[in-house]
Amino acid sequence: MNTYDIIIVGAGPGGSMAAKVAAENGLKTIFFERGRKPGEKNSSGCGLGPRMFRDFPEMMKELTPEKCPSMRAGSAARCYFINEQDTVAGYVMSRPTESVSYEPAKSWITMNCYRSEFDPWIAELATNAGAELKNSTLIVNLLKENGKICGVVDEHGEKYKAPIVIGADGAISMVAKQSGLRTKWSQDQITVCPQYDFQAPPEKIDDIMGDETLAVWWSATFPASYQVFFNDGFHQGLGNWLTKWDKNPLFYLNRVINLKYYQRLLRILEAKPRELQSHLLPWLQYPYNTHTDGVILIGDAGGFPCPLEAEGIYPAMVTGKIAAEVAADAITSDDVSKNGLSKFDETWQKTSLGEDFEAGEELYNIWRAIPFSPKETMTWFVPMLMEALGGIYDWSQPHPIRIRQIAAKIKSYMPQALPFMIKYVFPLVAKIFEDDLDKMMDPQKLMTALPKVMEMLPKKKKRRRGT
Amino acid sequence: MEIRNQDLTKHIPGTGDFIKIDQSKCNGCGLCARICIVNLWGIKENVAFIREDYKEKCLECGSCFQVCEPSAIDFSYPAGGTGVVYEQG
Repeated sequence: MNTYDIIIVGAGPGGSMAAKVAAENGLKTIFFERGRKPGEKNSSGCGLGPRMFRDFPEMMKELTPEKCPSMRAGSAARCYFINEQDTVAGYVMSRPTESVSYEPAKSWITMNCYRSEFDPWIAELATNAGAELKNSTLIVNLLKENGKICGVVDEHGEKYKAPIVIGADGAISMVAKQSGLRTKWSQDQITVCPQYDFQAPPEKIDDIMGDETLAVWWSATFPASYQVFFNDGFHQGLGNWLTKWDKNPLFYLNRVINLKYYQRLLRILEAKPRELQSHLLPWLQYPYNTHTDGVILIGDAGGFPCPLEAEGIYPAMVTGKIAAEVAADAITSDDVSKNGLSKFDETWQKTSLGEDFEAGEELYNIWRAIPFSPKETMTWFVPMLMEALGGIYDWSQPHPIRIRQIAAKIKSYMPQALPFMIKYVFPLVAKIFEDDLDKMMDPQKLMTALPKVMEMLPKKKKRRRGT
Repeated sequence: MEIRNQDLTKHIPGTGDFIKIDQSKCNGCGLCARICIVNLWGIKENVAFIREDYKEKCLECGSCFQVCEPSAIDFSYPAGGTGVVYEQG
């Protein structure tokens, strides 16, 4: 029998972070990876956010291009808007604004790198701290004695014993299933994300994209598609909840690739498809059933990806660290019961991650209603937005007439836009600013006031001179 | 652009079965066939079946398992060190 203080199933960023912190806390630690090395089973291409560098500064400053050659950070993000005719109707490029409060967030929005490089790097930090990593090993069950979880069993029947098991085994988590915490997600708690990796020469990416690291293609014909730039390539992927697919997900991804604009981009970047990937991504309003006697679930296994855009690396690392610290305390105090481990929830809820989930329901709902509802929402959202952003760049009519045309057109979208704002936007604003805005957000007041305002807009004008 | 998807995935051989279907539970809804991006599922006489060569093609995303309402599909993972490999994931 192999005996440990803590067993971690999974060596992604969450599992490795948990292993590192557990080992640093003096626990005899083992963590398992089913691939031949960490990262080779993962396709979510990490976008490391500035919060990671703020919260784990000592560790993250060690991440260099020598260790992670695919790294690419940049300050620009682009939003493309695609209409029902599959035309790029416009785009907005943006950089960190003046309200952004700290470095490195002022300098770049995301540091991108491939999981095949990042995951081994973070796993090595854990092994350097003293944790034992077992690669090419699939954990197939939990070990139980008198109904109590006390370890894991691998595919060869080898047993490993420990008072605490951390489930860091991703969206389809054996640990969640065997511990009774969850058999399956409900279909509106999980998304599937197919993506292509394209190879492109680094100098082409630099010349053409500049310091752009991220683009979102918002569309009336496919669920919003993300584009993430690495040193010598980029990902193009999209996702949606499993309830929302009326066709094969690849049909929609290929629709992005086959946009005329996109084809031109591929040509000038000299980009070639290199890999086809797919993964499940939990996307919840709020994590639940995160722990039980002797078990804590972290990262994707616990449902921790951000409720707005489902970035999962940072939440995995935050929850991995907290789980290891809570486990160390629980082992010291000899209480690994569900109640003893409830400190896990109490702790992550107080972090930056907890802050996101405070508005989780509203963030989730708005994302579901806009980018993930191409037909229902984006068909009017894109032309309305472009009318506002781009309508004025036109001299087909005298400018005052153009402005009235634009206002009239925007007004015509109000039967869709107003209920949408009341249902999705105002609850989010109210949640974020709490009760001082509640009165303003009264839907009834809004419904009576706003149409009156809109009514006034494109009325006949009085002439300033002449008759 | 015609993308040849079959050229874009890499697999380490050697695993046993890791997806199973209990055809008595299948309701023939076809969601598994719709969701699988490498088209490993088919429907015959109102019952789902998985292609024989799925072990060399599966991307291990688990969508088929997750989407199956009557839980007719059982999914684990391929043996350690085998199955799909992502070099630029």
